Amino acid sequence: MNEMVKVDRRDAKLALAHIYVAFIALGLGGLAGLLQTLVRSGKFELPANISYYTILTTHGVLLGLVLTTFFIIGFQFAAVSRTAGTFSDRVRFWGWVGFWLMTVGTAITAFFILIGQASVLYTFYAPLQAHPGFYLGLTLVVVGSWVSGFAIFAHYARWKKEHPKQVSPLLTFMAVANMILWLVCSLGVAATVLIQLLPWSLGLVDRVNVLVSRTLFWYFGHPLVYFWLLPAYMVWYAIVPKIIGGKIFSDSLARLSFILFLFFSIPVGFHHQLMEPGIDPFWKYVQVVLTFMVAIPSLMTAFAMFATFELYGRSKGATGLFGWLRKLPWGDARFFAPFVGMVFFIPAGAGGLVNASHQLDQVVHNTIWITGHFHLTLATTVVLTFFGAAYWLVPHLSGRVMTKAMNRLAIIQTIVWVIGMTFMSGSMHFEGLLGAPRRSAFSTYGNSPQALEWIPYQIAQAVGGTILFIGIILVLIIITNLAFFAPKGETEFPVAEVAEGAERTPLAMENWKLWIGITVALILIAYTIPFIDMIQNAPPGSKGYKLW
Amino acid sequence: MAKEKMKGKATGEDNLKGTLASVFLLGFFLIFTWVSVYYLFLERL
Repeated sequence: MNEMVKVDRRDAKLALAHIYVAFIALGLGGLAGLLQTLVRSGKFELPANISYYTILTTHGVLLGLVLTTFFIIGFQFAAVSRTAGTFSDRVRFWGWVGFWLMTVGTAITAFFILIGQASVLYTFYAPLQAHPGFYLGLTLVVVGSWVSGFAIFAHYARWKKEHPKQVSPLLTFMAVANMILWLVCSLGVAATVLIQLLPWSLGLVDRVNVLVSRTLFWYFGHPLVYFWLLPAYMVWYAIVPKIIGGKIFSDSLARLSFILFLFFSIPVGFHHQLMEPGIDPFWKYVQVVLTFMVAIPSLMTAFAMFATFELYGRSKGATGLFGWLRKLPWGDARFFAPFVGMVFFIPAGAGGLVNASHQLDQVVHNTIWITGHFHLTLATTVVLTFFGAAYWLVPHLSGRVMTKAMNRLAIIQTIVWVIGMTFMSGSMHFEGLLGAPRRSAFSTYGNSPQALEWIPYQIAQAVGGTILFIGIILVLIIITNLAFFAPKGETEFPVAEVAEGAERTPLAMENWKLWIGITVALILIAYTIPFIDMIQNAPPGSKGYKLW
Repeated sequence: MAKEKMKGKATGEDNLKGTLASVFLLGFFLIFTWVSVYYLFLERL
């Protein structure tokens, strides 16, 4: 029972390949981020005529799309192999096909960004028009991720067949839910790229319906955020309890929250388009309501985490209202980094509620507040959780152990990240409230008094960005050590058990036909009428612009 | 067996008062942030 369950070596190789690409993307994308904050401080200019927007696109694509997708799929492959058994040769083969499609796609996309043919930012909004190679590369990344998703589904189906009337392992269930979410939402981005943007950039059609393309993008773009977040929740629900020596508060609650994310994270894209004309306010309202519904599973998660920590602390004799906090293993980076990620999700979630409210969005829309917001959600909550996971996942897969010195460095890394992000994201939030735009290089806007007010905040962002880049160097040192230089040995892949007092998980939790049916129904309700409206009342469309 | 424990009187180990306090604090923070930005919106009307 207590014998250490290891991920099969062949599966480990597949997972590690993904994680290596993810951390290479972190290094390159992080460097681009550092340069951006320096440019925006007004004290630094990029050499050799490199455009700010090329760097900005590199940063967004490498960190928002490549780091995340590769880490998530690598982590999920490892988690599924660990909890639902070693992959068949066929599943592993398709896993590698997915990996190479994504890697080749990333290389093509990166090439066209770096030669300055695709400075369209990671949202690639029309009418900004990139080289067709940019769209083609992104298509390969998405198709590769689909192949990997189906490999996970096939393995899950085999497990279900071999274990009739049994509830699947929690981590496998969560990976399946996340890949269903990804598959359903990425249909939107595939549609806009293949039907609209690629033919338009190839010159096969002259004009593009901008509103339709933005709507399809945000049909994908918001659930994308949850595709990033759910693997962090996998770590919080199913792994962190084991690391601290506790139990999962409730398996059913964890699964229910994932099902609710599947329902409510997709039909909500309009809250990114609240300021756009051409969408009836009623449908914006419907999607705002659905957006607030998606806060519920996050609040459930917060409750479950507090409860897990408190139950553990009290089992160790903690007293008082918050005495249990003292019992947590603060010196263990595998716990500390994800915990800090959880704490940062509180201001991140609060900002999210602001962004999703129609009137409040008028205060913050397209300001750098939004950039500050997703540097709390993705670049702190999710990324610190991924770092914390990598501290045991990489040595588990590479057959090594983390030394005390590396653990200490990982704790320092987390603290460095907190300091850097507090400076950077904090000043982005405040500067945004003063009206400073996002997605723009340094400018004093003709020395307007309002724009001059923003400069101190931009200097604070450069300070924060520099500290964060030091954090990136530290994590790269740690990961390189864990992958290639740490002492050989066996590291545990921690998977928590459910608390004894918890109710049994009902089998109905895995009624995927019903869950997918409800998901599709909600999408149709939220999108059908406004989408028909956009097409029937479409303006002539826009030709492409290359503003670089 | 699980149910027996659930029905039993809350012992020191089952005490979730800290969790209750934590979720209340979290809720207050969310409301405070929302109201602060809403106030800014009203001010700028």
